[in-house]
Amino acid sequence: MGAPGDFTFEPAPDLPGADRLSKYLFGAIRAATPRLWDFVIEGREHVPTEGPAVITPNHLSFCDSVFVPAALPRRVWAIGKGEYMDSWKTKHLFPAMGMIPVDRSGGDAAQAALDAAADVLEQGRLFMIYPEGTRSRSGNLHKGRTGAARLALRCNAPIIPTGHEGTVDVQPPDTVLMKPRKRVVVRFGAPMWAHEYGDPDDPRTLRRFTDAVMFEIAQLSGQQYVDTYAGKDDRPADTTKPSAPVAADEHQSVTPRRPSVVGSAAPSRPATSSSATVHPNVPVADGPPLIRPPSERPSIPSRRVAAHVDEGDEVARIGVPPGRRDKASAAEFSDDA
Amino acid sequence: MNLAGVISGHVDNRIALIDGDDRVDFGTLRGRVAAMQVDLEARGVGVDSTVALATGNDVAFVVSTLAVLGLGGIVMPLNPGSPTSELARKLAVADPSMLLVGHAGRLHLGDPAVGTATVDLIEMAANAAAAHVSGEAPATPVIVDRPDDAPAFYMATSGVSGAAKVAVLSHHNLSWIHEALHRIEPPLTPDNVTLGILPFTHIFGLNVVLLASLEAGAAIVLQQRFDAEESLRLVREHGVTMLTGAPPMWQRWLDADAPDDSMASVEFAASGAAALPLGLFEGVKARFGVEIAQGYGLTETSPVVTLGRGVPVRPTSVGRVLPGVDVALVDESGTPVDVGDEGEIVVRSPGVFVGYLDDQETTDSVLSEDGWLWTGDVGIFDDDGYLYLVDRIKDIVIVSGFNVYPAEVESILMQHPGVSGAIVTGSPDEATGETVVAHIAGTATREELERHCDEQLSRYKRPTEYHFLDELPIAPNGKAIRRALR
Repeated sequence: MGAPGDFTFEPAPDLPGADRLSKYLFGAIRAATPRLWDFVIEGREHVPTEGPAVITPNHLSFCDSVFVPAALPRRVWAIGKGEYMDSWKTKHLFPAMGMIPVDRSGGDAAQAALDAAADVLEQGRLFMIYPEGTRSRSGNLHKGRTGAARLALRCNAPIIPTGHEGTVDVQPPDTVLMKPRKRVVVRFGAPMWAHEYGDPDDPRTLRRFTDAVMFEIAQLSGQQYVDTYAGKDDRPADTTKPSAPVAADEHQSVTPRRPSVVGSAAPSRPATSSSATVHPNVPVADGPPLIRPPSERPSIPSRRVAAHVDEGDEVARIGVPPGRRDKASAAEFSDDA
Repeated sequence: MNLAGVISGHVDNRIALIDGDDRVDFGTLRGRVAAMQVDLEARGVGVDSTVALATGNDVAFVVSTLAVLGLGGIVMPLNPGSPTSELARKLAVADPSMLLVGHAGRLHLGDPAVGTATVDLIEMAANAAAAHVSGEAPATPVIVDRPDDAPAFYMATSGVSGAAKVAVLSHHNLSWIHEALHRIEPPLTPDNVTLGILPFTHIFGLNVVLLASLEAGAAIVLQQRFDAEESLRLVREHGVTMLTGAPPMWQRWLDADAPDDSMASVEFAASGAAALPLGLFEGVKARFGVEIAQGYGLTETSPVVTLGRGVPVRPTSVGRVLPGVDVALVDESGTPVDVGDEGEIVVRSPGVFVGYLDDQETTDSVLSEDGWLWTGDVGIFDDDGYLYLVDRIKDIVIVSGFNVYPAEVESILMQHPGVSGAIVTGSPDEATGETVVAHIAGTATREELERHCDEQLSRYKRPTEYHFLDELPIAPNGKAIRRALR
């Protein structure tokens, strides 16, 4: 293992990014990374040398988009903001590094991104997407969006789970410069195929496949997994400097986002809930406050007091002899399961 | 309003119930109900009286239920096959004035251990039929007007909270479901014939198979004891158009010694209570040419939330949301999750129950103040609004932060030919938080199952403990009772 090995440059005249500039840039990055950093690459043999594949790394730092492509044996593409095309500084450079600009204004941005990504895969090339949707500020590996799985299914391409360590030391959040001489490790896992995870028309398959990919990424990156999306309250619990939550990069997402609601929205929580599952490491947010006059509370029909109620027995509300009541409340009604 | 009104307005000589040789038309049904009301009133039954019922899917069940409802009383249907102690426990919660005992509950007649006065329903039903024939009784039943939210049924249920409960369902809860079903194409008509095999003591059998069919003027063929060949004979003989059953029943229909065209008349086939295995769906479709639609609902929702009727069937989905029902899938904070993500199913509709009898605390733990029921079930929508069930939220096993749904692991284990039953639970683990435990019935060995799971499941989902048992706690409707193994 170690520094970047063989590399095949694939001309792609049909995709954004001039081939000549791209070849130069990829060459420069591949030459520079092992000299400037202690750059270790593992599992490179898992990346197919030809045909489509979806590369799904964890996301901790902006420079992930430098190290993961530098570790790959082939040219790779990814979705980027359409706005980069408005600046002379980036309009040639970023596409040459594999960025496919997607205009987030108007129409369905996620669908446009999905189509653009599918185009890359259908041409038999590598496509990279961060399944967490945005950088993790907590350092944990967050829940995966299902977009990568959708792409893999649609284009019959494998997913290459990818985990890396050290990029956040190279370029911590909110810094521009990359610190040299740090250790960076990028690890590629064995290809994973969506069709092994169930019926492609069943939405549970996408979720199941995505979770399995995230599990492999966690093994490769050494991160703790948390079952919440990145970008929302994902800073470490012990942080003393709160900052605004990081919004998910919608323009880069290939996962359609709309709430799972049929009928009217905004459900409210019961007054006392026994049904919430508390996930480890995840703070459980309080539900929206319930403001309703007591008169609108669901009323349980008050029972007619049966004739044989014990006089003065206010606790046994329905005239069930107290001895039997205890038994009843402890009972399991086995045939109603 | 009054739910007993479901028998009003239908042509007198139109068949309502077929019970063996007994063919009861709507005129006769109304007459028998009226006659039984005279008897019940003499026993003190009136507005807000609670009457418990222990009988099978027979004419007496239908007549007595409608008679009590018509008088403004509340019916508590109980499984007639329950052991006495269990019956007594349930009765103690609702404290009815009497327990009407029919054929199937015969054992309990006069048993002081029941704790409630028992009345012979066979005799009452026979007297009512005779009184109707002789013309002694009024021809039209009493149907007392009741407020919409007046209780109609006390349904014993394990409940979304998991503990034993009595759910209170109002006249409007149940009748609203009938209205909503009318809005699905094709609506029920008097030309429909339904097989009444799912127990009327459960909410689906009661409100969809029995009451919604009566309301539509359709005929119900009653079958009291499940026998797959007999069911299929009844389907052929009476031209049944609506066939509903739980997965174990569908399995036995598929395996039954009967002609392959036995379901030729069936227009709508449905399964509920537990997940329908895909192989069973495909087997029934291949043999009988019908596609089984699944549905989802709870006692607390009267019960229909989703149904695969009026839309193309997606075999592993429980269908689409019933018109008029609000459904959201939410995370722990109550925020709806994105489409394609799993979330707890929360439901609001006019079918959502009033509450648990005398249990405000448990009611408050599942029902928000503005009427959202938190079901404790995890589901996922596809892009077209079909719902898929994932598991019970309380049964989720969390391994290294990842959710493991026992239902998925169980279905993989069940695919092994040496496994006849599988229940998966979690147990605490120092390294991973929790670990997956498999409880297995069958001949498979641990090594075989480990190999099987290595091929079929992601690493964190594979059981790390196996327990081999002679028998597993699986309810007759096919639902695993996992809490019994934790």
